[in-house]
Amino acid sequence: MRRLRTLLVDDSRLARGELRTLLAAHAEVDVVGEADDVEAAVAAVAGLQPDLLLLDIQLPGGSGFDVLERLPRAPHVVFCTAYDQHAVRAFEANALDYLLKPVEPARLAQALARVLQRPSEPSPPRGTPLAAGDPVFLRDGERCWFLKVGEISHIEIDGNYAHVHFRGQRALVQRSLALLEERLDPAMFFRASRGVLVNLRQVRNVEAGVGDGYTLHLEGGTQVEVSRRQAREFRERLAL
Amino acid sequence: MTTQVAVAAPGWRGHLPRQLAHAVIWGGFGALSVWLFTANAGLHSGLVAIAVVLSAGLWAGAEATRAVVLRRGWLTLPPLALAWRLILVVAVLAAAIQALIHLALATGLTLGWLRMPAQAAGYGPGAIAVYWFNTAVMLLLWTAVWAGQAAQRQSRRESLGRLQAEAERRRLELDLLRARLNPHFVFNALNNVRALINEDPARARELVTRLSNTLRHALQHSQRERVTLAEEWAVMQDYLAVEAVHFEQRLQVDARLDPAMAGFELPPMFLQLLVENAIKHGVARTPGGGLLEVAARRGEAGGLHLTVENPGHLDPSDDAAPEPSPTGGVGLAWLRTRIAGLGPAARFRLWSPQPGRVRAELALPA
Repeated sequence: MRRLRTLLVDDSRLARGELRTLLAAHAEVDVVGEADDVEAAVAAVAGLQPDLLLLDIQLPGGSGFDVLERLPRAPHVVFCTAYDQHAVRAFEANALDYLLKPVEPARLAQALARVLQRPSEPSPPRGTPLAAGDPVFLRDGERCWFLKVGEISHIEIDGNYAHVHFRGQRALVQRSLALLEERLDPAMFFRASRGVLVNLRQVRNVEAGVGDGYTLHLEGGTQVEVSRRQAREFRERLAL
Repeated sequence: MTTQVAVAAPGWRGHLPRQLAHAVIWGGFGALSVWLFTANAGLHSGLVAIAVVLSAGLWAGAEATRAVVLRRGWLTLPPLALAWRLILVVAVLAAAIQALIHLALATGLTLGWLRMPAQAAGYGPGAIAVYWFNTAVMLLLWTAVWAGQAAQRQSRRESLGRLQAEAERRRLELDLLRARLNPHFVFNALNNVRALINEDPARARELVTRLSNTLRHALQHSQRERVTLAEEWAVMQDYLAVEAVHFEQRLQVDARLDPAMAGFELPPMFLQLLVENAIKHGVARTPGGGLLEVAARRGEAGGLHLTVENPGHLDPSDDAAPEPSPTGGVGLAWLRTRIAGLGPAARFRLWSPQPGRVRAELALPA
């Protein structure tokens, strides 16, 4: 049986205890740790590499979303909240799994079953670049997404922010929060110019562009220019 | 004594149906008059002129009546007051129309443009009165029908406005009630009760009692204008006991009540709101929690001085939310409105006495 290494994040010790009690009925779940605020949660995820986060929304030092934004690689997440209409609207709008406290055992079983249906990627050692199948969490205001790194077509860098393009959509994220850039695999993402990173697997067509540069046609119809400075490296990468 | 009535300008298209109705009514009336006159005395230009000027005059008179009534807001008047005003206006307008007919006829006859039948009806004072009366009746008939319709429309608009205002007021009340019940607090408390039932049944029972007291107070509060500080203090203790179960060692409380102030009367929920705010925006958000200090002592001139201090940072968005929302800004916005209604001696201040601490101070007059 597939096992779920689970981390509980909730500011209340009793609430975590309650979750442990409920999870005891699920043999596939191993509770590997607990965290009670944002910092502790980020550290625990890095140290324990859990498969599943049961994540409270209102936490000391920030919110559950803040935790996810700071993780280089998002585990499966089921949100928990006592009452937060705002967050619940976000969960519904973005098809995210959530539980309302006090948690109904049946709802918990349902959420766990859904997590187990999703494919699991073995956690790579720390510091390894993100692979195409690795999930990342992005948030732009009210909207949030769990997506696979390979779904990102390109990233436009704009000062402290980055526009991440994927599935024909776009998310504006803070670069300090999205550790994405540094963790992307240089074999997959190519720096087309100073401000643009392109996923080479999403390039459909290459055209000679202005001067010595190139124009890349991406899946979904976007065009990206490769600067003259980067053109040589681009030719070498293609030759490989 | 004119009442301003907001009449939306409908543009010429909005006036079109009414002007068409006017054209049909008064055109028909003119044609009927011509037919009646000529059936008796044969076709004469003078008689046609009378019918045309009369119809045009009645059309203009009807429009003038409408304009006066709307501009002066007479539709909101009691029926009798509206009736005698309408009769007066109609009488004056009917006289003006007859004068106009007389002027047109006299001019036309003198210049030889118009011809009247030989056995023309007399134009003595009696005949003039009959002509005037007929005109007035026609005009009054139209005015009565129009005013009846317009008054009905107006009252429908007014009752709609009243209903909308009522609905808005209820929505605000509901938002406030929801904030007062503090659902996030309640569901967390229930979750903690469930955990405690296994861990420490006696404490679970105690928690249920404390939670009940808090809820009962929140529901009943609007039924009373003033409560004593001692009562508010007891409710706060219940509330803090429930929160202590949730926050455990993260919440330390230092609450000091000057016994001399126990009987001081204040509006309900003031103290509770400040303490809830201190927990929600201060203790809960601060990793590791901290010390909550609540002090009630004698203020200026026998008034009350309340201080609530908590760990945390001033967040401008919490303080003055542009729009009260059920989860966020309702509390402090509501408090500020209530305090503004208590006169200049009532003051509220939210400030940071030192980095990492936030203090709310409330002064209420005796």
